[in-house]
Amino acid sequence: MADVTEKVRQVIAEKLQIDAGQVTIEASIVEDLGADSLEQADILFSLEDEFGITADDTDEAEGLKTVGDIVTYLEKKVEAAS
Amino acid sequence: MSRRVVVTGMGAVSPLGMSVESTWESLLAGKSGAGPVRAFDASGFLVRIACEVKGFDVEAFMDKRDARKMDLCTQYAVAAGTMAWKDAGFDGGGFDPEATGVIVGSGVGGIQTFGTQHSILMEKGPRRVSPFFIPMMIADMPSGAISIKLGLKGPNFATVSACASGAHAIGVAFRAIARGDADVVVSGGAEAAVCPIALAGFANMKAISTRNDDPEKASRPFDADRDGFVLGEGAGIVVLEELERAKARGARVHAEVVGYAATADAHHITAPAPDGEGGARAMATAIADAGIAPEDIQYVNAHGTSTPLNDKFETAALKTVFGDHVAKLAVSSTKSMTGHLLGAAGGVEFIFTALATRESVIPPTINYETPDPECDLDYVPNQAREANVTFALTNSFGFGGHNAVLAVRRFEE
Repeated sequence: MADVTEKVRQVIAEKLQIDAGQVTIEASIVEDLGADSLEQADILFSLEDEFGITADDTDEAEGLKTVGDIVTYLEKKVEAAS
Repeated sequence: MSRRVVVTGMGAVSPLGMSVESTWESLLAGKSGAGPVRAFDASGFLVRIACEVKGFDVEAFMDKRDARKMDLCTQYAVAAGTMAWKDAGFDGGGFDPEATGVIVGSGVGGIQTFGTQHSILMEKGPRRVSPFFIPMMIADMPSGAISIKLGLKGPNFATVSACASGAHAIGVAFRAIARGDADVVVSGGAEAAVCPIALAGFANMKAISTRNDDPEKASRPFDADRDGFVLGEGAGIVVLEELERAKARGARVHAEVVGYAATADAHHITAPAPDGEGGARAMATAIADAGIAPEDIQYVNAHGTSTPLNDKFETAALKTVFGDHVAKLAVSSTKSMTGHLLGAAGGVEFIFTALATRESVIPPTINYETPDPECDLDYVPNQAREANVTFALTNSFGFGGHNAVLAVRRFEE
């Protein structure tokens, strides 16, 4: 699922206007990359659009902390949808 | 005892330039900022011309991450506000954050954001509307964003009165300082409405010129062949400061604000009251507020939109207020060059009025070719004029019947 990881890193880098190299798997969206709550929502909605899924289980979606958490979550959603 | 209020900083983003200096230079040269619309494909529109800001580099004023969360009108406001702040000499500090306010007006705020996000709602559904939609759209965000950028914690809000928004903002800022609510206020107007839905709306209400084949001639205030205004955009922001504070820090003073008045026509949603009754009352009240007589005034920066009704009624209003002195009065409409910056108009035109007093030169009304019997004043036709300007007025009238007039005095201690 390297393509999911790559896409997630691209979207986050674009939304936060940072270098994709900073968007490591371990990076925390808030603590390391400095996203505020609106930026977190913006990233999530963009990824929904990108992967054609809906993060309707918002408790789980809102609990996503790191880039890796997001990748794992998306992979699960994409698999369930296919 | 009311405190005196002076202008110590000025900044502008306009269809004529990316600074006060370049805008003023173009104004005195009589250049038009109008052209075919470039922001989007307007080929299917009744009106296909506008006075657009050209070559705006937002990254000179903020990083990209902040810029993408701001509508263009807020970007213009922050850019012009940052320029004014630097011009005032505050960029290195020396201000009291809690005694410094921001009051910036906008006619409509983030209408471009509204248009694009509404399209997303229609095409992709509610889940795809940006979480930044609301903060990008709301008309108070120019004031909010400037306070965040510069760290200003005094009174902070917006004024909304259509094309008088910028003038009302400066009037309220003037009062706030005179009363002691703040010592310094960053004030003015910002607008960025050159977008499909606004252009269509203004065209369908027959407010804007359809002179598509000759855009530079389209804005022709007081001329007999005028047929509406030309949509403009940008921001004009000033730093107003209490005089003693400005003197104590050795600030350069551009001009003094000496009077302000706000009235309503109570007549019609868009048409001005017959003979400009509300505008005349605002002028007379601003003159009285300044403690001067009509005869003391040499120059009026007119609202002068280039619509048939405004220019006729504003002329009548000037005659009512100035009586015989109207024959000696210079009246010009800089909208002939900038187009109509809507909520930002009062901001840039206040700057032009302040500069007329400081520089002893009056910017012209360009495209004045065919006299209209109902507009028979000295409109400073086509050529800037050197003149001693001790006192000047700047008029701003908005849809809804809002009238705001500011009185400016050449600065003398």
